Amino acid sequence: MATGVDQAVGMSLVVFSLLLFTYYSVWVIILPFVESNHVLHKYFLPREYSVILPGIAAVILLLCIGAFTAVIMWKNRKPKKVD
Amino acid sequence: MTKLLQWLFGVAVVLAVWALVSFDLLDLSLPRPYREAAWPMPLYLLVSLGCYSLATVGYRVATFNDCEEAAKELQEQIKEAREDLRKKGLKM
Repeated sequence: MATGVDQAVGMSLVVFSLLLFTYYSVWVIILPFVESNHVLHKYFLPREYSVILPGIAAVILLLCIGAFTAVIMWKNRKPKKVD
Repeated sequence: MTKLLQWLFGVAVVLAVWALVSFDLLDLSLPRPYREAAWPMPLYLLVSLGCYSLATVGYRVATFNDCEEAAKELQEQIKEAREDLRKKGLKM
């Protein structure tokens, strides 16, 4: 078994993704069937955010990938040799 | 029919069903909660795919095995190789 930090990081990733999946599932699938004056609605943002927030996260992810690629390509540029 | 065409056909059928349910194109008048739950479906499937990938990566990071004997054997072989090369004249 991997030890120490590896196990902690791995398990925290698993727990985080489980929490995210459960919250998002309840938000998208279960909430429409719950009547609007139930107390459960207090814990969830308005439904528009269930589309906007993943959209923003996708844009940020693409920006990070693009920035990383740009930095790597900038560092690896070689000036052309003049014969 | 190629595999690509088969996949595209399947995706098109699923998308058509989704559009029919979410935007009420056939005027079927499904009850409101079903339509509200159906229309974010493509995004929901994408998010759950992302969660599954993250969980798989995290689980495999946590259960990755160290191989003690292989590490020791490798160190031994590195020592042997160094001795051998020193005898043959390579300066280290």
